[in-house]
Amino acid sequence: MADKLISKDNIQDFLKALETKYTVVAPVKRGDAPAEFRELEAGDAPILDGSKAMMTPKDYLLPRYEVLVKIDTAGGSTSVETPLPEDKPRVMLGAWLPDAQAIQVLDRVFLDKKFVDPYYSRRRENLTVVAVIPAEMRWSWFCGSVDDVEQWKANVDAVMYDLGDKFYFEAISEKGAALAEGFDDAAESDTIAKNVLWERFKSTGVLPFAGKALYENLAWDDPIWEEIARKCIACGMCSFMCPSCSCFDIQDETRGTCVERYRCRDTCQFEDFTLMGHGHNPRTTQVPRSRQRLMHKFMYQHQQFGVVGCTGCGRCVELCPVNVDIREVLTKMCSEKVEQPAEN
Amino acid sequence: MSEETTNVEEKTEQSTEPKEWQPSILAILCNWCSYAGADLAGSARMQYPETVRIVRVPCSGRADPMFVLKGFQKGFDGVMVLGCHPGDCHYAKGNYYARRRVALTADLLKLLGIPPERFHFEWVSASEGNRFSALIKEFTAQVKAQGPFEGVARKS
Amino acid sequence: MSDIQNKIQEEAKKALESGEVGLVIGWGEGSVPFKTTPVFIEKPEDADKLVWNPACVNNLAVYLPKMARDRKVGVVAKPCDIRSIVTLIREKQLKRENVFIIGLGCGGVIDAAKLQGLSASTEIPDVAPAELLRDQCKVCDSRNPSVSDVALGEATPKSDELKIEIAGLSEDRQAYWAEQFSRCIRCYACRQVCPGCYCDTCFCDRIEPKWTAKKATADEAWMFHATRAMHLAGRCIGCGECERICPVGIPAVELARELNAIAKERYGFDPASPDEEKPLLGSYTDADYDPAHHSE
Repeated sequence: MADKLISKDNIQDFLKALETKYTVVAPVKRGDAPAEFRELEAGDAPILDGSKAMMTPKDYLLPRYEVLVKIDTAGGSTSVETPLPEDKPRVMLGAWLPDAQAIQVLDRVFLDKKFVDPYYSRRRENLTVVAVIPAEMRWSWFCGSVDDVEQWKANVDAVMYDLGDKFYFEAISEKGAALAEGFDDAAESDTIAKNVLWERFKSTGVLPFAGKALYENLAWDDPIWEEIARKCIACGMCSFMCPSCSCFDIQDETRGTCVERYRCRDTCQFEDFTLMGHGHNPRTTQVPRSRQRLMHKFMYQHQQFGVVGCTGCGRCVELCPVNVDIREVLTKMCSEKVEQPAEN
Repeated sequence: MSEETTNVEEKTEQSTEPKEWQPSILAILCNWCSYAGADLAGSARMQYPETVRIVRVPCSGRADPMFVLKGFQKGFDGVMVLGCHPGDCHYAKGNYYARRRVALTADLLKLLGIPPERFHFEWVSASEGNRFSALIKEFTAQVKAQGPFEGVARKS
Repeated sequence: MSDIQNKIQEEAKKALESGEVGLVIGWGEGSVPFKTTPVFIEKPEDADKLVWNPACVNNLAVYLPKMARDRKVGVVAKPCDIRSIVTLIREKQLKRENVFIIGLGCGGVIDAAKLQGLSASTEIPDVAPAELLRDQCKVCDSRNPSVSDVALGEATPKSDELKIEIAGLSEDRQAYWAEQFSRCIRCYACRQVCPGCYCDTCFCDRIEPKWTAKKATADEAWMFHATRAMHLAGRCIGCGECERICPVGIPAVELARELNAIAKERYGFDPASPDEEKPLLGSYTDADYDPAHHSE
């Protein structure tokens, strides 16, 4: 599969060609909101170069508000509606590589063989994912420390690299290669430029401790949980903006003769997250909540799924109102346990 | 609350079967004065529009701004809060607290762009049955002139 | 600035050494460009972690109700943070004798969002440049601590030139707020960061009755924000933290500020004033404005 070049002048042709075969999903800025992954509509100017902050692909695959079932008993008869998403081919463009990798984490949860989530799978199964490596790496990324990012490429269908006036299109799968048919082949000099960008990505924000050290050294009784919990205001921003946090709540709402069962976001940082029906709450203080989030993300998910929950996208680092810096936390914990920095 | 309002949409469906649209109005009445006044209007067979939905509270001091906000969120076209005249509160001072609370609620509605014609606050005593029915008629006409409430999420 | 910073460290150290307090809450160096972070100093020798610069944005009063419940705690506070402390004391969430206030004269802090696109070095300037000032600071009229145990920093005179109209609302207020609230993702960060939101169980977390559903739709978000603004009537002191941390840019503080401006004008009630003994809605006078005689 030859790598291709797509000049930024030809981007509209690229999109038009895709739109004949796929529904294109890309980050779009509408109004004052941050860019979000949406199905493109006429007049949208998608952000394909990964250069701006954006909400994550999870907001497309797992909408913040999704109706699961609608039951209506109007007129004496009972109608049941399960509004599944349309089964159609979709292509996702403009996702940062850490965000694209986070989809793997979501897949483990929602495409688990025993319990396939039909709402998620309808959007996910026929989805071709194209990741993007922007021209400037985001200062808060630390992807190269959480995992071997070379392995991440195998989980997307193609990667686009921003080489300034053009995109370098690296096809990974057959599905990915099909997207850039008809475009010029990349020259060797382009491939060199692409490799330089890739190396920059790999070495961005690398922490003193990486990989195994991160998820083997989190300890239940470490005093650092107290430190975090003291500062943390339990605002839930980290989980809401994280590309792999997927905890949700299900609520039933009655309106007249109609009952709507919907899914909405939830976070382990909310006090009532573990509140049970009989009134008991095992996590009433912030310490167990802070501990839960980080151990789940780095340790439990790795133990359960073999995939690291955090992909180093850095949003929690940028957005935390009180500057709880997960990179600092991990470095501190590891330096207590490991005598010298582990090798990547 | 002991008297829940039934769903607005349900009732509106029935009442729009006749040709003209009638506004749905939520009225929060204090038990000792305004509700008694409504009772008096009823027992004296004074006519007033049936699309007003009354919620009885022990005192206008119990009228939580959330009742008003929720009313608009759920789609009522108009909301009113009625209480005892200052000095006549059954609980001595509940309506004095209501004065500040309801005033600020009215201000908040204005700040949120909900036309002030859709909200009304007044003192109505237990003996003012005809005043009550006149007030409901007047407010209903006022809200009707505003048209159906397009909802709090109307963007343009 | 660094002179004041040294004085802050000295005062904190003194208070800890003398045993007056067992904890001082202040700002420390952040790990992220142009950010400071709340620090909790328990040992006198750690007092040199405290900093004071235009990136000291966090309203630290939010930690006080829990941390100063049963013991005396020191806090480094800007005038807006002190306004929060005054409100908390009035509402009996905090005892005056449980807080040792190191108050600071303040010329305003930086709005980090305004840094985007500016190729600035990561060094935090001594004084916030006008173009980077947080909007709330532009209209702040209490640049000096109203209450404190130690007051540091020169009284920064209120400058009328800095008073700027907050970006005007369109004529159609309902459409404006509907547009703003439609972006809400219900993360509740605005509520968590607010010192005024100290309820054990927020109305949104109640199931019986369910005041507002958890789904992130525009009308439910409206109910949340409208109710929150109402709950802050006579209590919001306009620090703007809610606006700063909102991930989708909702100017929540605007609504609460406007409502409180009305309350101030009509009832003469200023939540920032230590002389107000009772909360606005927890009191009344016989001569109060009567909405029954003014409504449409």
